Amino acid sequence: MLQYEQKAPYVRNRDSAFTFMMDVVIALLPLYFMAFYFYGFRALMMGLFSVAAAVVSDVVCLLLEGKKPYLRDISSVVIGMILPLMMSAATPYYVVVSAEVFAVVFVKHVFGGVGQSVFNPAAAGFAFAAACWPSQVFSYPAPFSSLEVFGPVSQTLSNGPSWNLFQGGVPTIDVLDLLLGKFMGPMGLTNILVLATCLFYLLFRGAIGWQAPLSFFAIMVTAMLCFPRVPESGPMSLVHEATTGMWVFGGIFLLNEPGTLPKRSSARLAYGALAAVFTILFQRFGQMEQTFAFALLLTNVFGFTLDRNSERLLRQLRRAYLATRTKHSEKKSAQRA
Amino acid sequence: MAGFFTRGIILEQRKEPALRRKLRTFFNANYAGMLFESDFPCDGAALAGEQIIEIARLARIVDERDGVLLHEKLEKARQMGIQVVVGDAIDDEPYVSSQMNPMLFLPTEAAEGLRLAAKAVGNPKIYFAVYKNLNDMDLKTKIPKDINGVEIRRIHGRYPAEIRTMDTFDKDGFAMLVGVCSLIHLYRAVYEHRLQSTCFVTVAGDCVVNPMNLEVSIGMTPTQLFERCGLAEDPGYVVIGGSMTGTVCEDPDSYPVGTMSRAVLALRDEEKKRRYQCIGCGRCVEVCPESLTPFYINRYIELGKLEELAFYDMHRCIGCGTCSYVCPAKVDIADNIKTARAEIERRRPVAKEAD
Repeated sequence: MLQYEQKAPYVRNRDSAFTFMMDVVIALLPLYFMAFYFYGFRALMMGLFSVAAAVVSDVVCLLLEGKKPYLRDISSVVIGMILPLMMSAATPYYVVVSAEVFAVVFVKHVFGGVGQSVFNPAAAGFAFAAACWPSQVFSYPAPFSSLEVFGPVSQTLSNGPSWNLFQGGVPTIDVLDLLLGKFMGPMGLTNILVLATCLFYLLFRGAIGWQAPLSFFAIMVTAMLCFPRVPESGPMSLVHEATTGMWVFGGIFLLNEPGTLPKRSSARLAYGALAAVFTILFQRFGQMEQTFAFALLLTNVFGFTLDRNSERLLRQLRRAYLATRTKHSEKKSAQRA
Repeated sequence: MAGFFTRGIILEQRKEPALRRKLRTFFNANYAGMLFESDFPCDGAALAGEQIIEIARLARIVDERDGVLLHEKLEKARQMGIQVVVGDAIDDEPYVSSQMNPMLFLPTEAAEGLRLAAKAVGNPKIYFAVYKNLNDMDLKTKIPKDINGVEIRRIHGRYPAEIRTMDTFDKDGFAMLVGVCSLIHLYRAVYEHRLQSTCFVTVAGDCVVNPMNLEVSIGMTPTQLFERCGLAEDPGYVVIGGSMTGTVCEDPDSYPVGTMSRAVLALRDEEKKRRYQCIGCGRCVEVCPESLTPFYINRYIELGKLEELAFYDMHRCIGCGTCSYVCPAKVDIADNIKTARAEIERRRPVAKEAD
């Protein structure tokens, strides 16, 4: 009889870390399809280069650490797929690859690999690229312009509507085009309807919890509706901010990265709220058009503290509850006697 | 629908063929003459409460719920003034039905045993408790409303359900749970003066051809039980106890099945060693019925910082195994907690001496 080291419980859930991350990959695929639809093969090549860079640097790091690379661990693929979507489709490949290597080596592996990172690797990679090569990352080609797959892009690149908002102006793009994502912007972030579908898919599959997105989006939407950044009506401000900003994509894919997200529900709610507050502050007083990644990196620092304080609160509540219960049963026995 | 909001997990119960099938006996000795000597009449109505407790002592009945001797339990309950006696047939773990099945197929003995236990304690209210899963689709057996006039209460909600039993009977007053199997043995002791020499076990698992509930002699081995029920293939490993909290049987040829065993499972070794690193998803925190934080408990155990565990209230862990069940990385959180608790227990006196 075979004697594997089996430990209770002997029935296990069918979900594994592989299916968990595969859900995120599946949710990212429609965004790649839309990027391909708007910008052609260059968008796919960006993804391919990024994933290749992530996987190679992941394997090299694992080998240097003396661990065995594991095929079913696809966390580096997820990071590799998320990062290029936040950049312009005309970004040179070396920018994407170096951002990816930075994310995997210095943010994921330096802190101990899967599930241990303090900062969100994809957000850190984007912050790295945005700080080092702002002109390449933030200049966008027009949709449906066929970009060269290799070499420098010959199309004219310009600033998108997010730059207008950042400068205090109102974008003059048709609302329908905005909702359908037909405007100059990062290659995966413009399709608000596809993003909403991704959010519902991930929520339905249980790949992300509802707590952090709920508080994050609630505060963001309220802020956009009630306090527009530029002189326009509340609903129009919401449409402009949601379609051109990185925070919708970030609130779905970056905020809920399992390694950096707090674990307790109350801590998650507070974490989402904190991320929203930092995002709004950075948007109003920041010096860059897309600031969500920086706001998220700042929020990441508070993840553990929020969990710890949530636990402390829970301990007190639990003790108070147990005290009332003992009192209740004492009363009962006193009544009997 | 109260159970819908409880924390925990929805499990496939996998009880069905065993629960539906008739309870069978499988003995390796003749029990006809194994009686204890006493002058008590073989009639429950003629006995007083103390006499029933004395009979439970003579028959050496052990409660299969917690391993306590039944007469000690009844004696204590009598002193405390228990208001409700509950016949425990909850069986919330998958595969296990060794309390529900005897209750359904030996209704007179179970109900009369419960009445005798209630009489010994001082005639409080009596109920049976059975787990009602959220998806009872796979349960073809109808659980009746009552067994010989004793009402059956359903414990609703997700696994683990046993911890919520007391809440169900909270309105009726102080409750005591007694296993159904020990009630059946109490009936036999009172009416036939029989010693407890048998126990009820479920033989099931995905390698067993005819999963069923058996009344077996105490001390029989898992291999003998599998010969009785038939094995479709060589099992990957054998589990004694429930599929959530049981232990692996190292030597099925000589392990004695006892009162507390409750189930013997032959399981296929499907998942070889497909382990991942913890990805920090926090699902264990979402399902923990005691609202603990298994993620941090497990992390501090792995880091060896056992002094941190008191902050996370690890002593409140009930060992139900829900955290390990949902873990997508297949980390053995429940087992790590069990080991760490033993380790802390082992260190404690040493620390005292050092002071």
